Amino acid sequence: MAINVPAETIAEVSLAPARRAWIAAAIKFTRQRPIGALGAAIILVMAAVASLAGVLAPYDPLATDYGGMLAPPSATHWLGTDAFGRDVLSRIVYGSRTALLVGFGASVLGATLGVFVGVASAYFGGRVDLLVQRVMDIFLSFPLIVLALAVVVILGTGVLNVTLAIMVPMIPRCALVVRSSALAIREMPYVEAARAAGFGHARIIFRHMLPNVMAPYLIMLTAFLGQAILLEASLSFLGLGVQEPTAAWGLMLRGAAVEFAEAAPWMALFPGLAISLGVFGFSLFGDSLRDALDPKLRTL
Amino acid sequence: MGKYILKRFLLMIPTLLGVAVLVFVLLRVVPGDVVELRFMSGEGQFADPQMLAMERAKVGLDKPMWKQFLDWMWGIVRLDLGVSMWTGAPITEEIKLRFALSLQLAIMATVVATLLAIPLGILAALKQDTWVDYTVRVFSIAGLAMPSFWLGILMILGFLVIFKWLPPMVYTPLWVNPWQNLAQLIWPALAVGYRYSAVATRMTRSAMLEVLREDYIRTARAKGLWTKLILTRHALKNAMLPVLTVIALEFAFLLGGLVVTEQVFNLNGLGMLFVQAISHRDYTLTQSLVLLVAFVFIFVNFLMDLLYGRLDPRIRYR
Amino acid sequence: MAYLLSRLRGVGALAFLPVLIVGVVLPSPVMGQDKPRYGGELIFPVPSEPPSYDGHREETFGLIHPIAPFYNTLLRVDPRDPSGTKPIGDLAESWTVARDGLTYTFKLHKGVKFHDGSEMTSKDVKASYDKIIFPPPGVGSSRKGQYEVVEALEAPDPSTVRFHLKWPTASFLASLASPWNFIYKADILVKDIHWYETHVMGTGPFTFVEHVKGSHLVGKKNPTYWDKGKPYLDGFRAIFISSSSAQVAAIRGERAHIQFRGFGPADRNSLKASLGDKITVQESPWDCILLGAINHNKKPFDDKRVRRALTLALDRYEGSKALSKIAIVKEVAGVQVPGTPYATPPEELAKLAGYGKDINAARDEARYLLKEAGAEKLSFTFKNRGIPMPYEPLAIWMIDQWRRVGLNVKQEVIEAAAYYSVLRKGDFEVAMDFQCGYIVEPDLDIYKFISTDKNPANYGAYTDRVLDDLYVKQSRATDYEERKKYIRQFEKRVLDAEAHYLMTLQWHRIIPHSSKVKGWQITPSHYLNNQLDAVWLSE
Repeated sequence: MAINVPAETIAEVSLAPARRAWIAAAIKFTRQRPIGALGAAIILVMAAVASLAGVLAPYDPLATDYGGMLAPPSATHWLGTDAFGRDVLSRIVYGSRTALLVGFGASVLGATLGVFVGVASAYFGGRVDLLVQRVMDIFLSFPLIVLALAVVVILGTGVLNVTLAIMVPMIPRCALVVRSSALAIREMPYVEAARAAGFGHARIIFRHMLPNVMAPYLIMLTAFLGQAILLEASLSFLGLGVQEPTAAWGLMLRGAAVEFAEAAPWMALFPGLAISLGVFGFSLFGDSLRDALDPKLRTL
Repeated sequence: MGKYILKRFLLMIPTLLGVAVLVFVLLRVVPGDVVELRFMSGEGQFADPQMLAMERAKVGLDKPMWKQFLDWMWGIVRLDLGVSMWTGAPITEEIKLRFALSLQLAIMATVVATLLAIPLGILAALKQDTWVDYTVRVFSIAGLAMPSFWLGILMILGFLVIFKWLPPMVYTPLWVNPWQNLAQLIWPALAVGYRYSAVATRMTRSAMLEVLREDYIRTARAKGLWTKLILTRHALKNAMLPVLTVIALEFAFLLGGLVVTEQVFNLNGLGMLFVQAISHRDYTLTQSLVLLVAFVFIFVNFLMDLLYGRLDPRIRYR
Repeated sequence: MAYLLSRLRGVGALAFLPVLIVGVVLPSPVMGQDKPRYGGELIFPVPSEPPSYDGHREETFGLIHPIAPFYNTLLRVDPRDPSGTKPIGDLAESWTVARDGLTYTFKLHKGVKFHDGSEMTSKDVKASYDKIIFPPPGVGSSRKGQYEVVEALEAPDPSTVRFHLKWPTASFLASLASPWNFIYKADILVKDIHWYETHVMGTGPFTFVEHVKGSHLVGKKNPTYWDKGKPYLDGFRAIFISSSSAQVAAIRGERAHIQFRGFGPADRNSLKASLGDKITVQESPWDCILLGAINHNKKPFDDKRVRRALTLALDRYEGSKALSKIAIVKEVAGVQVPGTPYATPPEELAKLAGYGKDINAARDEARYLLKEAGAEKLSFTFKNRGIPMPYEPLAIWMIDQWRRVGLNVKQEVIEAAAYYSVLRKGDFEVAMDFQCGYIVEPDLDIYKFISTDKNPANYGAYTDRVLDDLYVKQSRATDYEERKKYIRQFEKRVLDAEAHYLMTLQWHRIIPHSSKVKGWQITPSHYLNNQLDAVWLSE
């Protein structure tokens, strides 16, 4: 196929098959797992909206208009305005940034730390394992809301602290799953061999164990993504998350959105839809990914 | 077997102790205490320091930390939770009515979740990779995706506008008026149950798929759906263990974790009590609540472990 | 969903109409046009539950609303007075003040009985006030400091109580009308001074029936109430509901009659829209206000010019118009509730910085001042308390107003319970602060602003002896005009000349209640007028 290609297009040539393979993979994925493809599409749209917020949003998300408070959806404000006359659509568009930032931040951090804890626990075994398991048990049985409240009260609100508050409960959940996979890997001959050869613990963990728990890691990561976005919205709804005047979906459902739910339902309806759609996309994608990566279909 | 049970049972103690230490320390790291809140927020501009010191002594905040902790632990050993720092009433009395509500809601929601999850999960597996499977999965994941508070707001609004239905003022216990009680809790139970059915549906589907892969069932492929269902019945019993685990753990979680739902539906349950207790810096009540919820969670876990052993002889007791 | 949405939109359009109507209907005369009817149980939601039953000790309206009907106080604020400033007798039948203003003698009603059947005498009044003002060692009193002026208390005969003061003060009668100072039985206090924390036993128009924790509290008519012919109600039922939407639902479903704290404008509109004439709306300025505490220890807020700029940037009149539609604030006010005796009239108020009618001029001045102070484009963090209404809408408004003079302000919300620790530590630049009184009385309302070394609850961290001096002068001035003059000077200094603190908008109390409820008058305080002795139900 590439026999008669002129020299000038060589750069393109080396790219073309890759691109084609990528497209082919996408088509195959769509055909085999239409649900996952739908999820991926939603995620892509969300990412695009977040990165192009400045271009897509018709108004400044912070601009108030006391003459146009609580205006219903119209040609000028497609999704209406809120209690301060701010454009709901623009705030939803900018809110996607907060959602993705906190969602990715919390789940990548949580799942990654969880993997380390889980692998280390399985690798060292014995007393260390027993101790780590007890600590994980403690965090698992600790009511989530108390944990989140405590983190937020001690550290304060704001994007970074909310990310931390969401991340903490994710660690033991991921560690638990990863540990059970890692336990099997620990008994594998190549790990035994590495140990016999006198390699350091760190090296064995990084070289031999971590790469082999990537599947459960990815599964947990995608499962967390949706839940992190949801948790961020819940915490913001409770007033424990991101703060005004920053645009965030959960925040938009708070206060006036509830008080005016009857008189100005657009204030509650659209941000809620945005949250649902976002979480829906990540969950669909995660669900399919699990089907693909987890042959025993056993991961929680 | 007896030895295993004992060992598992005893392992609960360090975990609970850890929970106790964690909540004890967390509460005291958080700024503000119950006396300060009661007498120095609001219009308490005149609060006198001597009085504050006395009030602190009254609730035991003047004692050294280790003493406070040991007192609490000693109370727990004697099954005495002590009194609430905010109201001065026994904690058992504070919790009683709220616990009844939360327990009932958790049970109802779990029933709803189970009734949704098992048939839907089995159906999805039997019809794997068809539009039935996709619909079931999209339906159950949609439940997981909708924030429960938003769903609650929409439900209440919908009922209000269409049926003129209004959420109740106070909780009517089941033993007082069963009909009114059920009418109160059915909507939140549906909202919560739908949401929590998602994971169980997924597990049921996976378990069923696994069973369907067994050889003798593959050979029966031609014989139609109904036959397949009957054939899988026995195999399913074991395969359903993880489903049971998920449902049981979710039940334990629902008991204390429904803060937002309780808020939206105006249910005075444990979740709301949690938030109240923390915002009052009612250390004793918060501690007891956390320990209670953690105990239920750990105990359910323990029961599931035992059940695994009974139902699945392949699991050897270590 | 589309169907639901269109239905909702229809309702929404309706719900906006009554805003106009309400304005015309108000203020409705509530008292005395009909003959009271006996019977019925008044049902009212209470947003918070009493932590104990001892009014001398607690500070929450969650105690007053369900517990006040069980008790009497020595004096009370006239339940028919909309300004909530006029003390009248409750257990006191009459009183005399000595010419030097240092001795107050009260004659008590005769034949007043406690709910246990025993007679109430001056001994009980003295014991109750001794508990508040001179608590025995080992017993605290949260209101001791408020009665510093009292030298001693005596009960010369069973129906006379006498207060001896250290110096004359204009506010003494008002402070005896405090709704917190329930009269307890002396014999019980002698035996166990903490008894009243866990028990209820007073002389009030209602007797205690039951309190189910986390649910409700019930009282029934006191058949031997000393004020003959009262109360009109057979009883009352206080229902503890923390969610405000559920409280509104209770009124809307006609399962409850009234909520005595207040609702937001959205709720008022939806109640009026759905129930029409069945709802009567009473509104009043509310003796609560959110303040901007400006930390004088943090640069550049030690600079008067920067502080003035902060207040100049606020368009209070536009804010009043807009925010009153979405939040429980409305009136533009100085240090006193508008419409009360010592309040500054609007035209005079407009002369203060930030109260002028020309917002563009004010903002230009703000920008100029900031530039001059080298604080152009200043960025700072505004700390706010984690309470939704009205803290959140006001903060959004303030931040937006400051943005318009080039300030870049970030909000940091602190959990409600941790908030005051932050303020006390001075760990903020500008923060939301709160002031709320149980009665409109300058002594209580402006105490907040005297120097931090005298009042630690002044979080501005400043020392201003001129202000302290003016406070004492107004407090001891017994002549109305003289006192007014000092209060005006105080106001000008704290809000304008020094701009120590900045005021947002006065809270606005909105009580939409069942039209069946009669004999209840709204006042500027949600701590007042909750004895329910004169309240009745029309059907």
